[in-house]
Amino acid sequence: MNKLKVFYKNEDFKFGFFIISIYLFWALFWTFYILLYKGTLNNPYFPLPDMQFELIPPFKNKFLFGTDIHGRSVAEIISMGLIYSIGMAMVISLCSATIGVFMGHLSVTGSRMIKSFCEIFTNVVFTFPSILIAIIIMSFFGSSILGLIIALVFSGWAAYARIARGEIKRILGLPYVEAAKALGMSNRQIFFSSVLPGIFPQLLVHMVLGASGVIISESALGFLGLGGSQYSWGGLLATAKTVLLEAPYLSILISLSMAGLIIGLNLLGDGLRDILDPHSKK
Amino acid sequence: MASFTRKIIKIILTVFLALSFIFAGIRLAPGDPVEKILGPEASNEEIFNYKHQLGLDVPIHTQYFNYLTNFLTGNLGDSIFKKTNVLELIKSAFFPTLFLSFTSIFISSLLGIFGGVLSAVNKGQFIDKGLRLASLIGLSFPIFSVAPILVIIFSLKLNLLPVSEWGGIKHIILPVMSLVIPLSAIIMRVTRNKFLEDKNAPWIIVLKAKGLNGLSIIYRITKVILPTVFNVIAIQLSVVLAGTMITETIFDIPGMGSLLFEGIQNRDYPLVQGVIIYVSLVYLMVYFLVDFINEKIDPRIVE
Repeated sequence: MNKLKVFYKNEDFKFGFFIISIYLFWALFWTFYILLYKGTLNNPYFPLPDMQFELIPPFKNKFLFGTDIHGRSVAEIISMGLIYSIGMAMVISLCSATIGVFMGHLSVTGSRMIKSFCEIFTNVVFTFPSILIAIIIMSFFGSSILGLIIALVFSGWAAYARIARGEIKRILGLPYVEAAKALGMSNRQIFFSSVLPGIFPQLLVHMVLGASGVIISESALGFLGLGGSQYSWGGLLATAKTVLLEAPYLSILISLSMAGLIIGLNLLGDGLRDILDPHSKK
Repeated sequence: MASFTRKIIKIILTVFLALSFIFAGIRLAPGDPVEKILGPEASNEEIFNYKHQLGLDVPIHTQYFNYLTNFLTGNLGDSIFKKTNVLELIKSAFFPTLFLSFTSIFISSLLGIFGGVLSAVNKGQFIDKGLRLASLIGLSFPIFSVAPILVIIFSLKLNLLPVSEWGGIKHIILPVMSLVIPLSAIIMRVTRNKFLEDKNAPWIIVLKAKGLNGLSIIYRITKVILPTVFNVIAIQLSVVLAGTMITETIFDIPGMGSLLFEGIQNRDYPLVQGVIIYVSLVYLMVYFLVDFINEKIDPRIVE
């Protein structure tokens, strides 16, 4: 019970958890709605364009939040963008973290050659402007979800590798890990029994904070016309920008939805960091 | 001196690897770029001529060699769409981007460091809470979402500032504002956290014991945390550059971003390559400059 209290007492965590729960609930609801209620698993529902309902402002007709330039309901396209963003953020953060931990582990335990290679490679990718890597990859891959994942994972793993490297170094020096080594456990056994659980808290914090970075980068690419989906919030904002004068509500609604999610992730990440890493503050 | 040579080698290595990334990124992408540019109805002869013009008809290692020598001699080829030398296009587009990025970095640093220190000193009080909330909100509206909102407020509703084009001071305010809001929020957060982290270090307790007053202690802590803050700015630089380019497309500013955006839309292969190379070079130069400055401010940071 005491452990839960720590979570409950942290205000950042509480608010962040609350906001993210709402977003996750919204995303789940929408997923079920398009897959099971309105459409089927094989034939999911997509927001329907209808030119006769073009650019209707909020609270008119049957559209609560109005329609976009194709006459699609704004609530529906934002929901599509939400499940797309959350899906991308999860996949990309998981892949980046996995590659990052792997490279970080190699750069601590590998032979000298491997060590320095990993280090240089990580530093170069980390130094190189990541969004430019993504732009290069996307502009020549064409807009596709796979291209987007590759682009953002390729530019994102280095940050995880740096964190993982420091943490793994620290953990491998702990007495109980040295004891395990002395008992003859292999590198791999130690990795799964000690290193992975040891770096997990830090990793989790950075995945939550990194997810908001992924959402921003993805939208930035979408805004430049290099997104992986037509429902990318960035892409929607780019279209909304063209009708800013006639339909300012479009930009505002999309921006607010995106900002809410990013605020939630940042609060959750900050809260988690304070809770999991006692010497970081106070 | 040894560390200086090491640094130079590191810079050259990074630039070389960055160039190789760009080369590989463009060449390894699936699909033939030339066929993509010319479309499905192009004849074989057209494709062949075009490839020859771009230097794509030779083996890949020769292409790589040509690419590197062209880079060293400053020959980036001609833009396919605009039929002008890429270097000339970049030269004319360079100033607005540089100006925008550095103005906004400068303003954001001042605002962010000041706000961060202010909120750390007043930790837990009303000022701190307000500033933290403001930075959280600023952080959560990326440039491309804050810019339209600013346009709605200042241009459409209040009718104070023009929406687009490039020229007088009035045209600069909105783009700079949309860049400053997210960046200063990040700097403020980092400054605040780092300040609180260092506040109880032994050397500060010594200063207090010696009877130094509050303001000069704050000044000294601020000086010590500057390298961390600069590092974060350097890391954020890629975001700022990308942000500047996005801002340019929003406000119709004839900079590198607009150039890149056009290049991407027209599949203008040499243009995109040239812009990316130049932006990366500038970025790397500033990155290493920050490294250098940090060592001067705080001599403890030497690898």
